[in-house]
Amino acid sequence: MSVPTEHLVILAGILFSIGVAGFCLRRNLIVMLMSVELMLNAANLTFLAGSRAHSAGGEPMLEGAVFAIFVIVVAAVEASVGLALVIALYRRQQTVSVDSLNQLGDA
Amino acid sequence: MMALLNNSAMEFQALTSADWNGGAPMLCVTAGIILALLAEVLPGFKPARHVAFLASLCAAVLFEMRILGAPQGTIFQGTFSADRASALWGILFCFSGLLAWLYSRRYYKEEKPFLAEHDILMLCSVLGMMLMAGAEDLLTFFVGLELLSVPLYSLACFRRVRMESVEAGLRYFLLGAFAAGLFLFGTALMYVATGTISLAGLRETGLDSSLSLLGVALMASALFFKVSVFPFQFWVPDVYQGSPTPVTVFMATGTKAAAFAFLMKVVFLLPASAAGILSIMAIATMAIGNLGALIQEDLKRMLGYSSVAHAGTLLLVVTSSLIGDPQAGAPLQAALYYMAAYVFTAAGAFGMIAMLEGSGEHFTKLESLRGLGTRRPLLAGALSIFMLSLGGFPATGGFFGKYFVFTSTLRADMTVVSVLGVLLSVVALGYYLRVIMTMWMRPPVEGQAAPSAYRPAANFATGLCVFFVLALGFAPGWFLERFF
Repeated sequence: MSVPTEHLVILAGILFSIGVAGFCLRRNLIVMLMSVELMLNAANLTFLAGSRAHSAGGEPMLEGAVFAIFVIVVAAVEASVGLALVIALYRRQQTVSVDSLNQLGDA
Repeated sequence: MMALLNNSAMEFQALTSADWNGGAPMLCVTAGIILALLAEVLPGFKPARHVAFLASLCAAVLFEMRILGAPQGTIFQGTFSADRASALWGILFCFSGLLAWLYSRRYYKEEKPFLAEHDILMLCSVLGMMLMAGAEDLLTFFVGLELLSVPLYSLACFRRVRMESVEAGLRYFLLGAFAAGLFLFGTALMYVATGTISLAGLRETGLDSSLSLLGVALMASALFFKVSVFPFQFWVPDVYQGSPTPVTVFMATGTKAAAFAFLMKVVFLLPASAAGILSIMAIATMAIGNLGALIQEDLKRMLGYSSVAHAGTLLLVVTSSLIGDPQAGAPLQAALYYMAAYVFTAAGAFGMIAMLEGSGEHFTKLESLRGLGTRRPLLAGALSIFMLSLGGFPATGGFFGKYFVFTSTLRADMTVVSVLGVLLSVVALGYYLRVIMTMWMRPPVEGQAAPSAYRPAANFATGLCVFFVLALGFAPGWFLERFF
């Protein structure tokens, strides 16, 4: 007995919402980065669910699986650049809070 | 790529000559990236980096011109289209990269040792833009989007000794990563609903289930983030102000063009009922951009708001293409012409700020331009031409861009929206003319030295921009016949 696709999509939807909520509500840049990762992983889960749902003759459809692999790679790239930016901020401000980003804006 | 993997036998399909011809511009840029990297690590080859940069972009433009003459259709097993539109977009991206590069010469001071990274990241971004504009499936587009964005995050933060630059990089990164998340989840939902990620497949199956409509909505919001349309425009003035100015040149022109290129391609995914919301968003974007710019004292910030307003105008073309212009190809043509004019105008305007900044940081303030007309008439003249073109003054490229946009919206029966759009463009003249007045009619600030006008690379770039802005304004027929 396998898990129905709807359940997987609903689970992914919940994960995605947690990610969005975390991104919008938390002030710590590292936690915000983790929330983005959660959003990307929700997308991955959905891609894999779709890949299984659209299987032909017992073979899962490759598009979804390949897309998920690309997303994993890109997520790693984004995280590395993001963390580098956070370090650049920490060197200047000794904080990783998003509230310290207050130099720019309409005075 | 996908078709290749889907073959049950999984055999490798050799590249056809169309693949080589259509992919040649991207191969040139890739070769440029590799050669520039090699030139940096091999002893004694350091100056070769500049040659690699310029040669790869020039070669890419030549190959794009070849595609313009003989479009290759859909290549790489249906994942990329090398048609006239994507070739034209490609030429614009190359020019955007080239102009940003020219303006970045002599701009950086403490960052001089890292200029190789700067150039290489810029080439990566150009490659990502080309991939985005030609993408025929959502995976290709996503890879292009990230190839464009990730280097730009680091470029925005390139002057990392300055807090403003770090902040701009982080802000751009946070919103870019969030937008990527939205885009991916939207794509994933569409994939679950339809079982395809290729644009041709999506056009065939259509998107009528609520799941796929939710997916389209998420994907569209991600694209709206990138093109900076209301209500996703708030980051633009901050990021444009904080980034190093040559990077702003690149962001304002290339990134915007790439995102709009893809938006024009996927607009068929949106349901017809979205046209009303799109036109409201377009007008709101123009209003926020133009009214916000009116009160700015910082030139980079003012041009940032003006770039938001221009995104609103372009969204009008997207809307008219969704509603259906009776002349089928006209919206795309209008978008291309508008963007071509905007690339040269905005690159020139931001670039001149970069050039002036070389004589002191205070030259980003409007006040510092007082008396520039009498002290440096050539610089002031060029900047005036750019301002007039941004405002859509006749005999400049910006005028014909606006003209084609509004004739297209009128043909699509969007009369009220067009009238509002034209009125808001008139409001915009208020702040563009203010810059011109400050330069020509007010006396110089006491004790402030005139900016240095001798910067060969930047002067050349400014000349190029002036030439194209005027050429697009005086001979639109010639360009339309040959290129669009």
